[in-house]
Amino acid sequence: MVLQDLGRRINGALTDLTRAPTLDEKAFDGMLKQIANALAEADVNIKLVANLRKTIKTSVKFSELPPHANKKRIIQKAVFDALVDIVNPHQKEYQPKKGKSNIIMFVGLQGAGKTTTCTKLARWYQARGFRTALVCADTFRAGAFDQLKQNATKAKIPYYGSLTQTDPVVVARDGVEKFKKEKFEIIIVDTSGRHQQEEALFGEMVEIQRAVQPHQTVMVLDASIGQAAEAQSRAFKETADFGAIIITKTDGAAAGGGAISAVAATGTPIVFIGTGEHLLDLEKFNPEGFVSKLLGMGDMQGLVEH
Amino acid sequence: LLNSATSRLTGLFRNVVGGKALTKHDLLQPLAQMQNHLIEKNVAPSAAARLCESVERDLLDQKTASFTSIDATIRTSMSKALTRMLTPTSSLDLLRDVTTTTSGPSARPYVISIVGVNGVGKSTNLSKIAYFLLQNQFRVLVVAGDTFRSGAVEQLRVHVRNLSELSRRENVGEISLFEKGYGKDAATVARDAVTYATNASGQGQGQMLFDVVLIDTAGRRHNDTRLMSSLTKFGQLANPDKIFMVGEALVGADSVAQARNFAKEFVDTKGKLRNNGVGMDGFIISKCDTVGDMVGTLVSMVHATGIPVVFLGVGQHYGDLRGLNVGWAVERLMR
Ligand SMILES: Nc1nc2c(ncn2[C@@H]2O[C@H](COP(=O)(O)OP(=O)(O)OP(=O)(O)O)[C@@H](O)[C@H]2O)c(=O)[nH]1
Ligand SMILES: Nc1nc2c(ncn2[C@@H]2O[C@H](COP(=O)(O)OP(=O)(O)OP(=O)(O)O)[C@@H](O)[C@H]2O)c(=O)[nH]1
Ligand SMILES: [Mg+2]
Ligand SMILES: [Mg+2]
Repeated sequence: MVLQDLGRRINGALTDLTRAPTLDEKAFDGMLKQIANALAEADVNIKLVANLRKTIKTSVKFSELPPHANKKRIIQKAVFDALVDIVNPHQKEYQPKKGKSNIIMFVGLQGAGKTTTCTKLARWYQARGFRTALVCADTFRAGAFDQLKQNATKAKIPYYGSLTQTDPVVVARDGVEKFKKEKFEIIIVDTSGRHQQEEALFGEMVEIQRAVQPHQTVMVLDASIGQAAEAQSRAFKETADFGAIIITKTDGAAAGGGAISAVAATGTPIVFIGTGEHLLDLEKFNPEGFVSKLLGMGDMQGLVEH
Repeated sequence: LLNSATSRLTGLFRNVVGGKALTKHDLLQPLAQMQNHLIEKNVAPSAAARLCESVERDLLDQKTASFTSIDATIRTSMSKALTRMLTPTSSLDLLRDVTTTTSGPSARPYVISIVGVNGVGKSTNLSKIAYFLLQNQFRVLVVAGDTFRSGAVEQLRVHVRNLSELSRRENVGEISLFEKGYGKDAATVARDAVTYATNASGQGQGQMLFDVVLIDTAGRRHNDTRLMSSLTKFGQLANPDKIFMVGEALVGADSVAQARNFAKEFVDTKGKLRNNGVGMDGFIISKCDTVGDMVGTLVSMVHATGIPVVFLGVGQHYGDLRGLNVGWAVERLMR
């Protein structure tokens, strides 16, 4: 994600403000407008942008600031807090426990990166000492099982799938049961891509969920998603009640504001980000670090403690 | 931009101003609303801004018609601007092109390749195009040019098997897969496939074996300079008649850079951009069925490059491919 670019623009707006001959309310409004433009260009949902603008405005209360207040710092902090607030919904993610079967189900739009990411995540847990397995419950997409199989083989992770069974609910149930019996600790279920407009696909997702009873449902979102992010993620949330988000393709050039809007719309934490097409391209997500990086400033770290 | 929380084109500016000469001041707020409206439809902010600037230029000092509002005047002008932009300057009749190329004394296979970023729907929409060509009685060779992503070859094998069954049942066309497994250089595979389909030195007087060669490619980030520059060699070796880029309707502002960066890789050996300097021949906008009215991606991509939209992907099945109906798109955008 070219966070730096958005960060640079936000910082630019802040700097312009402090350089303004008179740091008055009008200059402050101008800065808010610049920040709003930068956020919109980063694909942040347009209504969310308007709300952010209001939040920053009311939290700064410009006209009430005492004359000697460090205005730049107060405004910086307000911007920082508003952004952190979006990506940090203060929801705890599910913590898998060793010695029991933790079932994780992946859902998301077509082509978001589910299949690739579920192997990355499996490897991540495997490297941390969990006995990990993969279940391919995508019986729709051509070559889906081969894709998972090839990835799992590369990562040396046991997998389950079927070339003949066409009902994903059956495959999911069978696979999870098998691995549970074999005392696997992390069982990750990959599913087909789907979207809210197709009811049957959402119905299928609910059925798979009912069949495998996941401890954690993860929604996978492409960092390049635009204004449709909010409606789609809300619909997934209402139907599958996912508890975590993984943003993929953050190595691309998109700013990721659409995916961030999905976080805001659903109050769900981002837990990992995908940073490439290879098995090891997965990073744990940290909201404060993310926004500090976004704003491209070390001194922002200092603000976190306040 | 973003002066009010709501950006719907509501009745705010419905005041009748018939016969008034419009000033910058009159246009300021309604245009800002229009810009937000377009952004909400997933038009990239940069494209939305420039469209609004051009509408402003068109309208400044113009007299509004009687009994009309500034709002309605802007809407009409924006609809016209969008229609003008989305309507291709030269029409692409793929079937006629294929027929011309594959018949007569200098007959040769017609080569199409599909490019785009990761996961946008290249392989699926390639299969839909194959289905469309089969329906029109052509012999199609599908080329597994994605030699990188796990399962990419098997994915196409399944599609070719399905389509081959369909074509047998319906007694239309003929389809095969050309594949060299994983790890091979895609440009070489593509060139070999074209040679194979041409069959110039082959058995039976060197009759060509296929009418159309459809080449799939691996998805790549447009900011990955190494993978992007390999497209140049690919374009030169496979020398396709048509290069179509798949752009995904879900993608936001990044669509602009995607379109520009892909287009600029397709230069000939003299460094000149293909297709009269625009690089590619058309966009396929996929996943239109997943965005409702938010079809702005197609505006962003055409606006960024001047390359027309040739197909829309509207679902995951072979029949889910449409031509672009400009009126339909504009109506959705202005809704
Ligand atoms: N650059 C990059 N590419 C990625 C990343 N994650 C996935 N991809 C690519 O995105 C494309 C789609 O990934 P898949 O894992 O097949 O997506 P999916 O969600 O399983 O797709 P469906 O099952 O068809 O819905 C592939 O080309 C992947 O290699 C990432 O973090 N970075
Ligand atoms: N709803 C919908 N889904 C689509 C459409 N086109 C493709 N898809 C789905 O998008 C997902 C990815 O499609 P692919 O054809 O594998 O995408 P790709 O660009 O070849 O992906 P990579 O080769 O991994 O870069 C699959 O689940 C397809 O079924 C469309 O028009 N509508
Ligand atoms: Mg998948
Ligand atoms: Mg593909």
